[in-house]
Amino acid sequence: MGRSALRISMLGGGLAATVLLAGCGGGLLSSGDAKSSSDQGPVKLGMLTPLSGSSAAIGPYMKNGAQLAVDEINAKGGVDGRKLTLQVEDEACDAKAATAAANKLVTAGIDVSVGGYCSGATLPTLPIFAKAGVPMIIPAANSNELVEQKKPNVFMINGTGTQQGDAAMQWMKEQKATEVGLMDDNTSYSVDIANVTAGLLKQSGPPDMSGHESVTAGESDYSANVNAILKGNPDFIYWTGYYQEGGLIIRQLRQSGYDGDIMVADGSVDNKLISIAGAQNAQGVYATMTQTPDTIPGAQKWIADYKKKFNAAPGPYSTQSYDAVRLAAEAVRKAGSTDGNKVISALEGIDGFELFSGPLTFTPEHTLSKGGFQILVVKGDSFKLEDPLQ
Amino acid sequence: MTQLLWNGLFVGSFYALVALGYSMVYGIIKLLNFAHGDIYMVGAFIGFGLLTMAGSLATSAGFVSLLVVLVIVMLATGTTGLLLERVAYRPLRGAPRLSVLITAVGASFALEYGMRLIAGPNPEVYPVRLSGHTLHVLGARITLEQIGLVGIAVLLMVGLQWLVMGTGTGRAMRAISQDPKASLYMGINVNAVIARTFFIGSALAGAAGVMAGAYYGKIDFLMGFIMGLKAFTAAVIGGIGNIRGAMLGGLTLGMLESFGTAWLGGEWRDVFAFGFLILFLTLRPTGILGERVTERV
Repeated sequence: MGRSALRISMLGGGLAATVLLAGCGGGLLSSGDAKSSSDQGPVKLGMLTPLSGSSAAIGPYMKNGAQLAVDEINAKGGVDGRKLTLQVEDEACDAKAATAAANKLVTAGIDVSVGGYCSGATLPTLPIFAKAGVPMIIPAANSNELVEQKKPNVFMINGTGTQQGDAAMQWMKEQKATEVGLMDDNTSYSVDIANVTAGLLKQSGPPDMSGHESVTAGESDYSANVNAILKGNPDFIYWTGYYQEGGLIIRQLRQSGYDGDIMVADGSVDNKLISIAGAQNAQGVYATMTQTPDTIPGAQKWIADYKKKFNAAPGPYSTQSYDAVRLAAEAVRKAGSTDGNKVISALEGIDGFELFSGPLTFTPEHTLSKGGFQILVVKGDSFKLEDPLQ
Repeated sequence: MTQLLWNGLFVGSFYALVALGYSMVYGIIKLLNFAHGDIYMVGAFIGFGLLTMAGSLATSAGFVSLLVVLVIVMLATGTTGLLLERVAYRPLRGAPRLSVLITAVGASFALEYGMRLIAGPNPEVYPVRLSGHTLHVLGARITLEQIGLVGIAVLLMVGLQWLVMGTGTGRAMRAISQDPKASLYMGINVNAVIARTFFIGSALAGAAGVMAGAYYGKIDFLMGFIMGLKAFTAAVIGGIGNIRGAMLGGLTLGMLESFGTAWLGGEWRDVFAFGFLILFLTLRPTGILGERVTERV
């Protein structure tokens, strides 16, 4: 029944996507000559990001970040005189919606994909872009599963689950945790980080793993799960899912009398987590997170530009999306063409390209050589930098 | 152990409140109203809107303001249920069962994405939150607010029981569930009674929505989906169409989930709970109280 629930909700997403498709028929009609030339005309970028569904809050952050980079590059004359265009489609954090949206982008003839937030929704889009020869620069999704298929067109500029697990482990050791409870939400992204961390915890020496609990996303009452995880008497709990359930779980952990440390993964870094949990419950909650605009030294000007343009503050993955577009433009410039294979070679050849997270060089697996994860902590009503883990 | 029982009871009372509406509507017109879970969501959002408008007044009055809001929301969601029945179901009264079922799915999407247009896709946080005042009873941690909410749920269910068994409307409802045509010949205004059933069921779901919003704090436009599914399961376990069955089914499902998680771990909880559902459907398709087929409402 649980699975059929998922299926029906996917159907919902699919319907929404269909409506979108129908609404934008004009784009489909003009797609016939879309890929006619690889060395002239505009450079078309496509982005899949959640604009509806459970992670809809992230979509505008990513979309605006990417749009800012597109506008800046175009203002400077584009890539070798070719303008960038950006087409954003809704992945709804849902496999079915993402597949439909990816097909739409391919039909529209995009040259490079710069999207991907939910790992579970990004996974099924890999073969679609691979078949069309579209290089993917994934700004946010970071499950190891994305690169395990070894598709040549897939590049990740967010740290991987392995790197996040490493960072979590390092912080648990520094906090002298002895018994760690892991909680995930059964999605690709979340299970990946939890399993990596579990593997590290099982190695000899403290901290040890007191329990591993999976919850069902989208519910309100997690008291049963909270009970189960507290049975192992943990003094440190790591939640690897998204912020909506994260907020509820933190609150319910505290209500059950748990007063040990709590840490959340990057999918939970959103100020809504704090308001859902209640400010006093969320105080001192740690997070493993890649750089956000607030925690990057010297990003004030960038934040000001962003605010001026969109009349809203940047959020998680704004900078990564901005960087994905810049990286795509750089690769097309070096390749001298939007031909998929040439762009892929250019991306593999990138050496020390400056991103917000530091100089970029891809590993042979097309991931960041350095995760760049840092530890944030909840102070007041927002996440503040606690330790850069350098 | 007592903690597990209490957790199950608490969650179960939410399931029961929503399951009642499911069960009543099924009992009376044999329709699985898939939009029922979304009425729960609508209730949570109307409550959120009211409390936000009341602002600091609501925060200072706490539990009392919640009770006032609860009543207003019940009236509002009841009316929503009436409208739903009038617009989406009554025109299809004579249509094949499948058409009505599909309409119900459509109504569910309409409510979900309609709310998304109004309130936006992001989750909202209730301005008035219930927490604190923990009591320790036999090793279980129980908060006064939880007791209050369970109390409200029980009151509503007792009220419903009285309404169905002790009033004229209730008698009409029971008559229609047995034989709509004969009831019509006996001079019962069938459409009006069906509309009233929708009103009552939706009001209960709306109440559950406000209570969940105030207790858990987070609401979003898709929150009714899983709740609807759980309530449907609860109704089937208890014996769909049977009011006491829906209450019992809700509590049973809450317990199954609570103990399933404790014994087998969270990833097995739904397997455990829904495994029981299958067992019930195989061994006792009419549910726990299903034998009372003659008195379905």
